[in-house]
Amino acid sequence: MSETVVVGAARVGRFATVLIVTGSAILAVVALAAIFAPLFTGWGPTEIDPLGTLVPPGPGHPLGTDANGMDVWSRLLYAGRLDLGIAVAGVAVAVVAGTALGLVAGYLGGWVDDVLMRVVDIFQAFPTFILALAVAALVGNGTGNLIAVIAAVNAPAYARLVRAEVRTVRESAFVAASVTSGASTSGVLWRHVLPNSLTPVRVIAPLNAGWAMLTLAGLSFLGLGVTVPAAEWGAMISLGSPDVVAGRWWTSVPPGLVLLICVLGFSLLGEGLQERAEAKRR
Amino acid sequence: MSPVDPDLLSIEHLSVVIRRPGREVAALSDVSLRVGRGEVVGLVGESGGGKSMVARSIVGLLPGGSHATGAVRFEGDDVLRMDDDALRRHRGHGAAICFQNPRGALSPTRTVGRQLTDRLTTHQRLTEAEARRAAEEQFAAVGIRSPRRRLGAYPHELSGGMAQRVMISLATGCAPGLLIADEPTTGLDVTLTREILRRFRHAADTDGRGVLLISHDLASIADVCDRVVVLYAGTVVESGPAARVLGRPAHPYTRALLRSVPDVDGRAVVATPGAMPLLKAAPHDCPFAPRCAHATAECTAERPPVSRVPGAADDWTLACFHPRTDELAFAEPAETPGRATAAERAVLEVDDAHVVYRSRFGKGGHAALRGVSLRVAAGETLGVVGESGCGKSTLAKLLLGLVSPARGDVRVAGSRMSDLRGGELRRLRTRVQMVFQDPIGSLSPRRTVADAIAEPLRALGLPAARRAERVEAVADRLKIDRSMLARRPHELSGGQAQRVCVARALAGEPDVLVFDEPTSALDVTVQAQILEVIADVVRDPARGSVFISHDLATVRGFADRVIVLYLGRIVEEGPVDEVFGNPRHPYTRALLSSAPSLGDGFSGPKVTLTEDLDDTDAAAPGCPLAARCPFADDRCRTEEQELRPYGNTRAACRRVPEIPDLLKGSDIRV
Amino acid sequence: MRIVRFVVRRLLQLIPVLLGVVVLTFLLVRVLPGDPIRTILGPNATPEDAAAARARYGLDQPIVKQFLDYLGGLVTGDLGTSIQSGTSVGAEIGLRIGPTFELVVLALAVALVVAVLLGVWSARHADRAGDHGVRLTALVGNSMPEFWLGLVLILVGYSVLGWFPAPSGRVDPDTNLTPLTGADLLDAALTLNGPAFGSALAHLILPVATLSIVVVAPLLRSVRASALEVLHSEPYVAATAHGLRGRTLLRGYLLRATLARLPSLAALVFGTSIGSTVLVEYVFSWQGFGQWALRGLLYRDYPVVQASVLVIAFCYVVVFLIADVAQAVLDPRVQI
Ligand SMILES: Nc1ncnc2c1ncn2[C@@H]1O[C@H](COP(=O)(O)OP(=O)(O)OP(=O)(O)O)[C@@H](O)[C@H]1O
Ligand code: SF4
Ligand code: SF4
Ligand SMILES: [Mg+2]
Repeated sequence: MSETVVVGAARVGRFATVLIVTGSAILAVVALAAIFAPLFTGWGPTEIDPLGTLVPPGPGHPLGTDANGMDVWSRLLYAGRLDLGIAVAGVAVAVVAGTALGLVAGYLGGWVDDVLMRVVDIFQAFPTFILALAVAALVGNGTGNLIAVIAAVNAPAYARLVRAEVRTVRESAFVAASVTSGASTSGVLWRHVLPNSLTPVRVIAPLNAGWAMLTLAGLSFLGLGVTVPAAEWGAMISLGSPDVVAGRWWTSVPPGLVLLICVLGFSLLGEGLQERAEAKRR
Repeated sequence: MSPVDPDLLSIEHLSVVIRRPGREVAALSDVSLRVGRGEVVGLVGESGGGKSMVARSIVGLLPGGSHATGAVRFEGDDVLRMDDDALRRHRGHGAAICFQNPRGALSPTRTVGRQLTDRLTTHQRLTEAEARRAAEEQFAAVGIRSPRRRLGAYPHELSGGMAQRVMISLATGCAPGLLIADEPTTGLDVTLTREILRRFRHAADTDGRGVLLISHDLASIADVCDRVVVLYAGTVVESGPAARVLGRPAHPYTRALLRSVPDVDGRAVVATPGAMPLLKAAPHDCPFAPRCAHATAECTAERPPVSRVPGAADDWTLACFHPRTDELAFAEPAETPGRATAAERAVLEVDDAHVVYRSRFGKGGHAALRGVSLRVAAGETLGVVGESGCGKSTLAKLLLGLVSPARGDVRVAGSRMSDLRGGELRRLRTRVQMVFQDPIGSLSPRRTVADAIAEPLRALGLPAARRAERVEAVADRLKIDRSMLARRPHELSGGQAQRVCVARALAGEPDVLVFDEPTSALDVTVQAQILEVIADVVRDPARGSVFISHDLATVRGFADRVIVLYLGRIVEEGPVDEVFGNPRHPYTRALLSSAPSLGDGFSGPKVTLTEDLDDTDAAAPGCPLAARCPFADDRCRTEEQELRPYGNTRAACRRVPEIPDLLKGSDIRV
Repeated sequence: MRIVRFVVRRLLQLIPVLLGVVVLTFLLVRVLPGDPIRTILGPNATPEDAAAARARYGLDQPIVKQFLDYLGGLVTGDLGTSIQSGTSVGAEIGLRIGPTFELVVLALAVALVVAVLLGVWSARHADRAGDHGVRLTALVGNSMPEFWLGLVLILVGYSVLGWFPAPSGRVDPDTNLTPLTGADLLDAALTLNGPAFGSALAHLILPVATLSIVVVAPLLRSVRASALEVLHSEPYVAATAHGLRGRTLLRGYLLRATLARLPSLAALVFGTSIGSTVLVEYVFSWQGFGQWALRGLLYRDYPVVQASVLVIAFCYVVVFLIADVAQAVLDPRVQI
C-alpha cells in the first residue's frame, strides 16, 4: 500500500480560542484591579499629595502625580470602575432597546418598519457629542446620563442588525410552520424569531463594549463626560495633555495605555467569538 | 511505470479519512474505478456515500484535514501526488468539473462570457479575440439562444437551466480529457433534464471525452451511461454495465435502492428500513449488513471482497457474500382506492383564486396563480404536479393562509379564512397543516422535537400535561423514538426530521394536510420510508390531503385525483390513473414523456416541448403553452383556454379531440 | 440613467431624515443647559443688556416663530449669524470645512489602500503567522483611543525627536500661503508655493497618521472577512478547480467580489470617523470644522450648533448614498 497523502489540516478554532482566552483574561485582570484597587495602592483616587504636583514617577508615587497633585497609579486603578461600569451598562441597555426596536420593525414590516427605521436614521446621522449633551440635559447629570448616552449612541446599530436578521428569519420555513400551527404573533416572535435572531448581537456586543469605552473616554477628554476630579481614563488624559508638549509623559501616557489594553480585551474577545461563529457557519 | 496506453482515469484503492479536531470521517474506503475515453460512467448512491469526494479527489481538491492512501491515476500520473504546477495544468485541462449548483458556482461579479474566455485563454491558448469567437460557438453548442447577447450576461440574470448550460460550456471550454458532472440535473425540470444529460453523452461520443456522471437519481441517468458504479458508505458495492446493474442488480443495496424509486408506471415503492451509517474508520464488515435482509454471520465478521458476479461478464463486479441472481420483484401497483366521491363532505374548497406577488417598488406584480379552483373531500388525496415556478408552493401557501388571494376565496371546513381574525383565525389555522420541503429548516433550531410537535396543541390551548400525552401518542404512531423528543433539529437526520414534521402536522387532528414536496430533499431510500409514512397518514377517512410534487412518479403512488399546473393555471384535472394513463393536455403528455423511468415508463405516444420555460409566456394572450406546444396554431395564440370536460378528466386545450390524430405524425415522436 | 433616477429618488428620501435632524437639533439646543447670551456678555451684564442681546438674535420671539424664521433662512441658504463671533455661519463654514476635508480625505484614502492590500493578503494567507500578526495589529489599532494616539505621536515626533512641527496651526505663516479653498496642501499646490507645500505636508503627517490608524483597523477586518468568504465560496473554488492562473483568479474572481461587499461597511466606518476627526483636530489644534463645531457647542452658539449638525448629518447620508451607488456599480446583482 502506498504512503498517505495529507492535505493541509485546517486548524479550525485554535486561534479563536487563544483570542477568547486572552481577551477574557485581560478583562478579568482590569475588572479585579478596579474592584480591589485599595489593595494595590495607599492613595485614594482623589486624594491630593500636599508635597507636590507633577512629581515624576518615584518611590512614593509609582507613576508620579498629576497637575492637581493626585497619585496617577491610584487613579488609574480606580478609573476602571467608572469606565467598565458605564460602558458595559450602556451597551446592555443599547442591546435590549435596539433588539426590541429591530424585532418589531423587522417582523411587522410595512409602515411601522418605515417609521422606526427613519427614526433610527435620524439618530445615526446625529453626531455623538451633540447626542451626549442633549441626553445629559434631558436626564440630568451623573453616571446614569452617561449610560444613557452610550445606549442612545449604540442602540440604532442593534436595531438595524436585528431587523436585518429578523427579516430573513421571518421568511424561514419554521416561522411559516409556526404561524400555520396557529401560534399568536407574540408567541412566534418570542419563541421562534427572537432566539434565532440574536447570533450577530452576541458577536458584536463585546466589540461594541470596547468602542463604547472609547466613546466615553473621548467625551470625557473633551470635558463632556466624566469630569476631574472623578477618576476616569479619558479625563486623566485630558488633564495630562498639556504636559505632553513639555515632554512629561506620565500623566497622559499610562491612562491611555490602560484604556487601550482594556479595549483590546473586548476586541480580542469579540474577534474570537466572531471567528467561532463563522467556523460554525462553514 | 506507465503502461503503454493507460486508462484515462483509474482510481486504485483510494481511501480518504478526514480528520478534524473532534471529528473523524472515513469518506472513502478502498475505492477503485476507472473511466475510459469516450465512455460515460455513472456514479450513484445516496448523499454521504462519497460521490462528491471521488470528484474532488480527481481534481486534487480534497478538503483540509484529508488523509488519502491509494492512487488517482490520470493518464498514468497520480493526481494525489502532483506538484502545484502539474496540478494546475491537470485541473481544467485534464479533468474539469461541472458543479452541482451552477448558479452558485458561477462568479456573480463577472460576466459569463468572461468566465468562459478565462478558461479558453488559459487552457486552449487562444487570444482574447479568438476566445470571444470561440465562446460564442460554445454557447450555441450547448443550446443557449442568442449566444452573443448572453456572453455579456451576469449569472443572476440566467435561469437555472441556462446556468447549467453555461456551466457545461465552462467545463468543456477547458477541453478536458475527463468531464465530471456532479448532480448536473438536480433542481432542473424533467423536460430539461433529458436534454442536459444528452449533452454529456454527446461529449463522449463526438469529442471522445471520458464522462463521470454523478447522481442520486438512478432513473434519469440510466439510459445515458455505459457503466455504473454504486457507492455505499464510502465503498463500491457494485459496478458494471448500466443495463445489467440497473436492470437486474445483484447487490442487496442496489436492489433496495431501485425498489425505493417511485415510477410513473405506478409500481409500488418498497422501503428499506434504516439509514446509511457515517463511518469513522474503514469498515471491517459489510456496511450494509444492519439493513440487509440476507445478512449472515459472515457479513458482520468480515468485509466482503470485490468479486465477479457469478456467471456474468468480467466487468460486472460486486462486494457481497450472497449475491442475488433472481429477477428484481416489484409489488403490484397499489390499488387506487377511489374511495372519495364528490358527494362526500368537502374539507377544502378553492374558488377561482388569483394570487399576485406585488413587486416592492413601483406598480405591477407577478401573478403566480391565475384562477385556480379545486375541491378536496374528506378521505381524498389530491395530487398537484407541475414544473418549478408554476405556482405549486404558492398554492400551498394559499391553502394555509400565508398569502391571501387577490380574487376568489379559500374555504376550510366551510369557513373562509379571510373572514376571521385573532383567536378564531388561529383556531381555523390549526385545521390545515403543512409538511414542508426542507424538514430541518421547518423546525425552529432552538426548540426541542417535543416542543415542535406540541406547537398546534399550544394554539388549541391544551394544558401542558395533555400536550405531553398527545405528543407521545403521535410520536408512537409515527415510530419516533421517545428518546428523540428531547433533541433539537440539528441532531436529526433528514428522514427523522421529516417524521417529526409529519407528527407536528398530525398532532392537532387537522381536516386538511398539505405536503409541499415532502421528500425532494431526502435520499432515495429515506424518501421511500417517508412516502410509506405519508401513505399511511393520508388513508385516514376523516381527513383530506393535498400532495404537491414536481415528481410525477411520487404523486402517482397515492393520489386519488391530480391537477396539473402550468404558469399558475390548472391545465388538466382528473382521476390519477386516467391522467397518467391517457393524458389529454399536450403539456401533461410532455411531462410524462420526459419523466425518467427504470420500469416501463409512460407507454403512450410521446411529445417534447420545443423551448425552455419562459416566464413571459404567462402574460401572453391565448394558450400559455402556445410558445412551446408542438400542436399550437394561430387560434391557440389568441384564444384563452378554459378547462373543458373530456371523458372524466378536464383539460384546458381546444385541440384535445384532434391530438390522437396529430400524434400519428411521426415527427413528434421521440 | 437608472443610476440618476436612483440617486434622485434617494435624495428625495433624505429630505424627511434631514428635516427630522433639523427639528430635533433646533429643539435640543434649546433644552441644553446653559445660555448663549450669558457666555458672550460675561457675569457683569445687567438684565437689560441681556434682554437687548436676546432681541438682537431673535431669541425673545416665540419658539415657533424662531423655528419658522430659521427654516425660512435655510430654504434661502442662510444659516444664520453666530452669536459668539457675529459673523455669518455660512462664511465660517466655508473657511473651516476645507482643512477638515483635506484631513479626512487623505486619511480615508490611505486607510482604504492599506486595508485592501493588507486585508486581501491576510485572507490569502489565512491562519498562518503573517495573518495572525496582521489581525492582531488591526485589533490593537481598533482599540486605540485616537486622541491619546495623537498625544503619543506628538510626544515622540515633536517633543522627543523634534522631527515634526509643533501641534498648532496647519502651515507656517511665514510661507505666505494665499488661501483659495482652505485646504492648505491643495492651495500650496495650486499657487505653486513650494515652502508652503512642505510646511503643510509636515503639519499634515501626524494628524493623518493618527486618523488613518484608527480608521484602517475596522476596514481591514471587513476586507479580510469579505475576501475570506470569497476564497471559500463556490465560484472561487470552481474557478480554481478549472485550473485558472493565479493572476486571473486574483483579478477576475477575488478582488471585485471582495470589494462588492465593502461599500456599506466603509460608509459605517466613515460615520464613526466623524467623531474621531473632532478629537484629532482638538489634539492637533487643527482649527477645522470639528473644532469650530465643538466650540459652538460648548458656548451654546445656537446657529453654529444647528448648522454643524446639519452639515454632519448631510455628509453622513451622502456618504451612505455614495456607498449604495458604489455597491451597485461593483455588484451586478444589486438592483437600483
Ligand atoms: N415571495 C415572492 N415574491 C415574488 N414572486 C414570487 C414569490 N414567491 C414565488 N414567486 C414567483 O411566483 C411563481 C410561482 O412560484 P412557486 O414558488 O409557487 O413555484 P413552485 O411551483 O413551487 O416552484 P418549485 O418547484 O421551484 O418549488 C414563480 O415565478 C416565482 O418566481
Ligand atoms: S455482504 Fe451480507 S450484509 Fe452485505 S449486502 Fe451482501 S448479504 Fe447483505
Ligand atoms: S391550446 Fe393549442 S397551444 Fe395550447 S396546449 Fe392546446 S394545442 Fe397546445
Ligand atoms: Mg416549491
